[in-house]
Parts: sequence; structure tokens; C-alpha cells
Amino acid sequence: MQGYARESSAVSSEARVLRNAVNGVLKLAERSQVLFGDKAAAISQLRTIANECAEVGWDGYNASPIEWTSVRLAEEFIRAMPDDLPLPEFAPEPDGSVSLDWIQSRNRLFSLSMGMTNRLAYAWLDGSDKGHGVARFDGERIPTRVIEGITGIMNHGSAPIGAR
Amino acid sequence: MGVLPSGLAEVISDDEDLARFLTSSSQFNAHMAKPASFLPNPQDRETSIFRHGNNPLDRLRAIGVEHVAGQRNLHGAAIFKARHVRAAQLDVTAAEPPPRHAAIRNWPWLENDPELQRAKQKEMAAVISSKAELVRL
Repeated sequence: MQGYARESSAVSSEARVLRNAVNGVLKLAERSQVLFGDKAAAISQLRTIANECAEVGWDGYNASPIEWTSVRLAEEFIRAMPDDLPLPEFAPEPDGSVSLDWIQSRNRLFSLSMGMTNRLAYAWLDGSDKGHGVARFDGERIPTRVIEGITGIMNHGSAPIGAR
Repeated sequence: MGVLPSGLAEVISDDEDLARFLTSSSQFNAHMAKPASFLPNPQDRETSIFRHGNNPLDRLRAIGVEHVAGQRNLHGAAIFKARHVRAAQLDVTAAEPPPRHAAIRNWPWLENDPELQRAKQKEMAAVISSKAELVRL
């Protein structure tokens, strides 16, 4: 396909349209590959953490093992994330949940818990402002409040985050 | 004011250094201990900590190995002040034995809404994490 996309001596309008179309397809494919690769790497990292924290007391303080239900929910969340949203860091929680963290700085962060249900607990710090809430995740679409919260923190925006 | 077997005062002062040991590299990044590392254990509803700062470092490490990590990797500790815990609307009290042990208490607990409970706890944990210094051990 790359052969069709390269500049050539073909100058007919049909050839130009074809070349542009092929270029568009290639760019989309490359972008998908990059994004898929990033998400795949994130999911792989998530599974590594789950394996490392698979036994009671992994933290030395008698924490519960990471629940695979939480991991599967986190994977669904990662796959459902819009492509322009930055991927999170992960952290184990002592009750077996998984935390997805978007950390801009120690005073600007958004933290989301993947537990045993599709109700997601989240909290954020934004300078001296802070808050928390709960949003329902249907497995396919990221709740708008969560997207706005992450975007507001990571883009230094001022999107309000509605607490519930 | 009472004195504990460790020789420490029974009441933890606001300026006292406290340590939360970190046994998983995913509990912190290059800049900070993540909020999840301060969340309470659901069994005792407390966050276990030790009354020690980053000086001397070898003593901090020894406490972490003896009382927390054991055979696990001890990656580091989050060091923070008692006043940072109290600023998050939580209590911090001595809980010996073992020596120097203390606990962060009074976490919100909502039996009928565990997700809202977790959200409130995460906000408090984030406040503490924003003030804590990450020390690599």
C-alpha cells in the first residue's frame, strides 16, 4: 500500500484522489498502531502489578490481593478511553482494588478506583481545591465527569468536576 | 503526658515525622508516593505507620525491614508530618507494640455506600500524599 501512497509521476486526478485516500488510510493505521501499542503496554503493566500483588500482605500491612474483577474492569476502562486522553499510572489498593492515577504534580492529580462494581470512586486535588465523587461505568463509555476531571487536571484547564 | 515503652510521648505532636513504608514499586513514581499507599486496611480500618523521619536513614530502613517488609522488597517510605494527617480531617495516634508504631484513624466508613466511602478516603489520602516526601531505601 505504501507504493500507492508515494509521490509518483502519475498526475491524473484519479491517481491523485487514490494517492490521498491511501495516505489517509495509512495515517489512520499508523495512529491506531501507536495507540493500540500504548494501551496494550498499559494493560500489560496493570497485569504485572496484579501478579506482584496477588498474595495477602503484599504491602507488609496485611493488604488483600488484587482482585481480578478489578483488573478486568480497569482493562475495559483503558480500552474505552478516548485516544486523546493520557493513559494513567496504576497503583494497588489495600482492599484489592486498583487505582488509576493521572498525576500532573503532587498537588494536581486525579485518582480513580476500580473495585468490584461498575461504580467508580474518584478524587482529585487541584492546588488548594479538592473533591471526590462516584460515577457509573457501563464498560464502553467513560463517564463524562471522569473525562472532564482528567482533562482538567492534565491540561491545566479549569473544567469543573461535579461531586456526587 | 505519658511515655510509651519505646520512650516516645504517648501523644503525637503535630511536627512529628511519620513513615509509611512502600513494598511495591507501583506505590510511587519518580516524584511522590501515590495516594493509594495511604488508604486504610479494610480489616482494621486504619493505616499503619511508624514514628520516624528520614534521619538516620539506616534506622528508618531497619524499622521497615523488621516490622513491615520482612522478606519483601523495601523500596522506600513516604515521610510526612502528623499535622498533614490532621489537616486531612483524620486522627493519628500511637499504637504500640511494636515500638514506634502508630495508626491513622477515623477514616470515613459508609456501610451502605462503599464506593462513596472509597471516594472520600481517596480525597483524604491524596491530601496526605501531596505533603509526603518520598525517600528511597
